[in-house]
Amino acid sequence: MSNKPYRLLEGGSRIDRSKRVTISFDGRQLPAFAGDTVASAVMANGSKLFGRSFKYHRPRGVVGLGSEEMNALVGVGDGARHEPNLRATQVEVFDGLHAVSQNRWPSLTFDVGALNSRFSRFLPGGFYYKTFMWPQSFWKHVYEPLIRKAAGLGRAPEGRDPDTYEHIHVHCDVLVVGGGLAGLTAAKAACASGLKVMLADENPELGGIADLTAGSIDGACVGDHAKAVAGQLYAAENVHVLNRATVVGHWHHNYLMIFERVADHDPALLAAGTPRHRLWKVRAKQVILATGAIERPITFANNDRPGIMLATAASAMVERYGVSPGVNGIVFTNNDNAYLTALGLKKVGIGVRIVDSRARAEGSLIARAISEGIEVSMGSVVSAVEGSQGVTAARIAAYRRGQGRVITERKIDCDFIAMSGGFNPALHLWCHNAGKIKFDENLQSFRPDRHHDAMQAVGAANGTMDVAATLAEAHAAGVAAAKAANGKAKAVKYKVPEVKEPTRAPLESLWFAPATGKYNEGNKHFVDFQNDVTAADLELAQREGYESVEHTKRYTTFGMATDQGKTSNLNGLGVLAEATGKSIPEIGVTTFRPPYTPFSFGSIAGVLTKNLFLPIRRTPIHQWHLDSGATFEPIGQWRRAYTYTGAGETKHTSINREILSVRQKVGLLDASTLGKIEIKGPDAAEFLDRMYTNTFSTLKAGKCRYGLMMNELGFLTDDGVTVRLAEDHFLMHTTSGGADRIAAWLEEWLQTEWTQYRVFVTPVTEQWAQFAIAGPRARNVLAKLGADFDISHEAFPHMSFKEGKLGGYPVRVFRISFSGEQSYEVATPANMGRGLWNAILEAGQELGIEPYGTEALHVLRAEKGFIVIGDETDGTTTPIDVGLEGLISKKKADFIGKRSLEQSFLKAPNRKQLVGLLTEVPTDVLPDGAYAVRALKDKPPMEMTGQVTSSYHSPTLERSIAMALIENGRARMGETLTFPIDGNKVIRAKIVDPVFYDKEGARQNA
Amino acid sequence: MPDLYVESPLAHRNSPERLSIYLREIKDRGMVDLRGIASDKKFMAAAKKVLGLDLPKTPHSSVSWGDVKALWLSIDQWLILCPRAKAAELAAALTAELGVIHSLAVDVSDMRAVLRLEGEGVREVLLKGSSLDLLSGDYKPGAVRRMHYAEIAALLHVVEDTVFDLYVFRSYADYAWEFLLATAREASKIKLFGKQAGPF
Repeated sequence: MSNKPYRLLEGGSRIDRSKRVTISFDGRQLPAFAGDTVASAVMANGSKLFGRSFKYHRPRGVVGLGSEEMNALVGVGDGARHEPNLRATQVEVFDGLHAVSQNRWPSLTFDVGALNSRFSRFLPGGFYYKTFMWPQSFWKHVYEPLIRKAAGLGRAPEGRDPDTYEHIHVHCDVLVVGGGLAGLTAAKAACASGLKVMLADENPELGGIADLTAGSIDGACVGDHAKAVAGQLYAAENVHVLNRATVVGHWHHNYLMIFERVADHDPALLAAGTPRHRLWKVRAKQVILATGAIERPITFANNDRPGIMLATAASAMVERYGVSPGVNGIVFTNNDNAYLTALGLKKVGIGVRIVDSRARAEGSLIARAISEGIEVSMGSVVSAVEGSQGVTAARIAAYRRGQGRVITERKIDCDFIAMSGGFNPALHLWCHNAGKIKFDENLQSFRPDRHHDAMQAVGAANGTMDVAATLAEAHAAGVAAAKAANGKAKAVKYKVPEVKEPTRAPLESLWFAPATGKYNEGNKHFVDFQNDVTAADLELAQREGYESVEHTKRYTTFGMATDQGKTSNLNGLGVLAEATGKSIPEIGVTTFRPPYTPFSFGSIAGVLTKNLFLPIRRTPIHQWHLDSGATFEPIGQWRRAYTYTGAGETKHTSINREILSVRQKVGLLDASTLGKIEIKGPDAAEFLDRMYTNTFSTLKAGKCRYGLMMNELGFLTDDGVTVRLAEDHFLMHTTSGGADRIAAWLEEWLQTEWTQYRVFVTPVTEQWAQFAIAGPRARNVLAKLGADFDISHEAFPHMSFKEGKLGGYPVRVFRISFSGEQSYEVATPANMGRGLWNAILEAGQELGIEPYGTEALHVLRAEKGFIVIGDETDGTTTPIDVGLEGLISKKKADFIGKRSLEQSFLKAPNRKQLVGLLTEVPTDVLPDGAYAVRALKDKPPMEMTGQVTSSYHSPTLERSIAMALIENGRARMGETLTFPIDGNKVIRAKIVDPVFYDKEGARQNA
Repeated sequence: MPDLYVESPLAHRNSPERLSIYLREIKDRGMVDLRGIASDKKFMAAAKKVLGLDLPKTPHSSVSWGDVKALWLSIDQWLILCPRAKAAELAAALTAELGVIHSLAVDVSDMRAVLRLEGEGVREVLLKGSSLDLLSGDYKPGAVRRMHYAEIAALLHVVEDTVFDLYVFRSYADYAWEFLLATAREASKIKLFGKQAGPF
C-alpha cells in the first residue's frame, strides 16, 4: 500500500465530491464519493490489488473500463445478498457497500495458492488434462474437489435470496444496443420516424466513451454532444431507454435478452421492494448493434502486474473519477489513440512517457504529445516489468517488427503502465445471431461481414473508429432500420455536422512484445488474464498438435470463463498466427456464445419461484382438503388429497380407516380431476369406435362403458368410462393426468386424419366437480340427500347414467365403480362443488360416511385387480399384457393400434403379463418396482423376469397384496418368485390371479 | 329445499393491496362454449336467432348484442358471454334451436375463472407473463386472444384500452392470481416507452 494521494484534487465528471460515502473492501473502510465504482474507490485509496488469478494466484489489479474487466472480480454484499464475480469497474458504490476480493486464501496480500506461481513450470497448458487422468474414480472424490478449492472464482451466497426478480416481454421496431456516440445517433435517427425504438446500454449513463473522445461536433465537445442527444431520447414518447442493461444474448429472428440491474446500485430501491434485476425478452424487427470496441492489452513479460491497465481505463480513472493510476507512468502503444491518454495524464500533472512499437508514425496527436514535452520512444517496447504486487519499473527495449528477443534493455522507474494494442470491435452479439466476420488489415482485427438477419453494426462495433464517419454511418443505419421496420416511416435528412477530430496514423499489430529470453523464468506473457493463459501455453498447445483454434481454446482454456475472451481473443490468435506462420484469418476464431457477460440466476428464475415455481391445479374442494388435515399427492399438476390423517393417527392408520369405511360403510372421494370431454356429432359413435379398442356404437343412451385406448403402436395410453348422453352425444372420462393429452389426441385425429368425420370435441374437465360416493351404504346417502330421479338398483343399475337433482344441486350421476363397491360418481357444476360436497357429508353423517384420499382409492382398486395407466402400464404394455384381451374388438374393421397388435413382438410367448402376488410372509409389503429374478445370486447382476407394478397393505384382506408384470405370468399361477430388495433382504411371493377381492363383482352390483 | 351454496374459484381470496393496477374476480359471468361450422349458413342463422348477433368470423375478434358477447376462439369455436343466471337457459336454447345442425353448445360457466385487470400499466403487467405484442394495434378493445400466460393457458379479452379480462381454467385460478400479485406489485411498476426521467 502506498501513502501517495491517488485522488486528484479536482476533476472527475462522474463523481459528486459533495456526497461522501464509505465502503468496505476486504473489511477495510474506504472513503469514496457518490458516482465512484468499487474500482475507482479502491484505487483512490492507493490500492491496486483486487484479487488473485485463477490458476497461478498471481496478484491482479484493474485492467479495464467496464464489462470487459477480467481481473478485478469482487464479491458484493453479505450473506443471502452476496453476489460473487462482479466486475469492480461496473459496481457503483453506495454508502455501506461491502465488497471482498476473491480467490485468495488466507488474505489478498499473502496467498498460499501463489505457490502455484512458483511451481508454474509444472503447470503448463493442459496441465489438468495431463495430470488428473487416472484412475477415473479419483475425479469425483479427489481431483475435482481439490481443483475446485484451488482454482475458481467467488463463493455462492448463503441462504434464500431476499430480493425479487422479474421478466418482461417487449416488441419494438428498432432496438439499438449500446448508448455510445454511434448508438445515440442511430437511435435518434430511428426515433424521428415515430416507430417504437429501444436503446439498451450497460452503463449507468449513456454516452459510452464519448467523454473520452477527442474532437468536437458542431462546436461542442463529443461528450457534450452525446449528452444532448441522450436527453432528447429520454424525452421522446416513442423511445424506451434502458440503463444498466446488458444485452446478454442475441438469437435468430432478432430475439434478444437484456439483463437490467434495476436496484443493485441503490439499497433504498431494494428496500422498497423494487425488483433487483429484470430480464427483458425483446423481439425487435430491426437491431442496430452499436456495441463499441474493446481495447486490446499488449502481450509483454509480466503484463499482468497490478498497475498495468488499458489506456482508455487509465483515461477514465482520471477524467471520470479524478483518480490517478499512479504518479509516474508509461503509455505503451501501437496506435495513436493512447496518445490521448498520455496527454490527459500530463494535463493533471501525472508523469508520463510514451513507448510506441511503431518505427515511425505521423499523426496530429503524436505531434501534440511531442510539442507538450512528453518523451516519446518510437520503435520501442516494454520488454519486462519489475515488481510483484505493483509496478516498480519497466524495461524498455528497441524493437522492430518480427523481432524474436531483446538484446539490450534500459530500466525506467514507473508505478503504472497504460497499454493499448488497438481496438477489437465487440462482435459478440453480431456473432450470437450468426453474423459472419472478416479480418480487417487496417484495424488488425475482425469486423462484421455478411449476415442473414435484420441487423446492422455501426460505429466502433463495425470498425468505424473516427467521429465523422461514425455519425454518418449511424444515422444512415437508424433511418434504414426504421424504413425496413415500417415502409411508411418517414426518412430524416442527414444534416452533415461540422466535426473536428485529430488525424490518426495507422496502427501496427503487436501480438507479442519480446523479452530478453523468449519465455524466461518468471516472465509470463499473459494473453488471457482471467484464465492465466500465456503466450507460451498457446505455443505449447500448437506443438502438441492442438492445431484447431477451438481445440487450443479447450486445451488451454484461452477465451473461456466469465469474460469469454473479450480482451484476449485477438491477441491469442495473433500469437498462434506467429507461432504457425499462418495468417489470423487462417487460424480462425472461436465461437462467441451467450451470455455476453454473466447474469444472475435470480433474473433467470424471475418470479417463478416458491409458490410460483410450478403451476398447481386445485379442485373446487381444495380448501376443504387443506382444512381437513389432508396430505397431498401430485397427479400431473393437480394436488389431490392423499389421505386425511386425524389426531392420534399415522398416515398408515388413516389410509386403512378410509379403506375399511368404503368396504363396510360408505366413503366420499374428490374425483374432480378426472378428465371429461364432450363429444358430439353424427359420426361421434364411429369416431369413438376408432379411438377405443372396444365398441361404443352399440352402447345405449344412458349407459356407461369402460374403454381402453391404445396409441398407434398398440400400447395402452389411457382408459376410462364413456357415457352415451344421447344418440350423437357422448361424455368421455379420461385419467386425471391424460385429460389434456387425450383431448389434443382426439382433435389431432379429427383435424389431420379423419377430416370427413363430423364430430366436435369440447373438453369440459373443469366445468364439473365430481365425487365418488362408494360403499354398501352409498345408495342410502343418495336417498338421504333426496334425488329427483329413481335411484333403485333396478332403475339405476351398475354402468348407467342419470341426470337430475340431488339435494337440490343439478347433477350428472354415473353408477360406476373403481373400488368394486356400490358406487355413484356425482358431477355438479364446479362452483356448486363445495356446496354438494358439504351436503353429501351432512347427509352421510349418520351412515358413517368418511372422505377418502387417493391412496385408499389405489388400494381399493388393487384389491379388485383394476389397472392404473402408468402403474400397470409403462408405455410398452398392451391390453393383452394386462389381461384385457376381452376388450379388444374382433368385429371392428379398424381402430387405433389394431394393426400393431399383429406384430410378432407383441405376440411373443414370453411377454410380461399382469398377475397378482401374495408374499409368503403376509406382513411383507413388496417395494414398488421390485424385480423378480430368475435365480438369486450373491450380488447383481441377476437375470430379471418381471417387476412389481403396485403393492399395498390391504386392510380388507389383512395382508399385503401386489400386482406385477411377469414374463409369461398367466401360465405360471402358483409359482413362487424371488425378489431381492435393499439391505440383502429377499421377499418371496406366489403368483396368483390379480383380482384379490369379490371376484364375482357382487358388491358393485348390489 | 335448502339454499344452494355457490362459491367462485377465487372466493377465498382477499382483495389485493399495494398493486399498481386494480385486480378483482368477476363472479357473475356466464359462459357457453359453442362449436359449429362457420360456413354453414343454417348454423349461423340459428345461432343469430338465439344470440341476436352474427358470430364473428374474424380471428381474435368479438361481437356484442345487448348483454351477450361472442368471442372468437377458433374457426369453429366461440365463447358466448352472458349474465351467469342466463347461461344454462342460453345453452339449452342454442341446443334446441340448432337441433340436427352439426354443433355443440355446452354451459361452461364454471370452467374458467375470470380476472378483471384495470388501470394504467395493465399491458405492462400482462407483458411480465406474455410474449404477445400487447402494445401493438392488434390489441384494441374487443380483441380476443388465446395465449400462454405465465406457465398456463389463458384467454385474453381487451374490454377497454386499460381494462382487460383474463380467463384461466378454474384449477389454475390461484396460480394466476398469485402470479398477478407478484408481477403487479406497486414497487415493480414499469411504463414501457414514453418520456423518461433519465438516469437516476
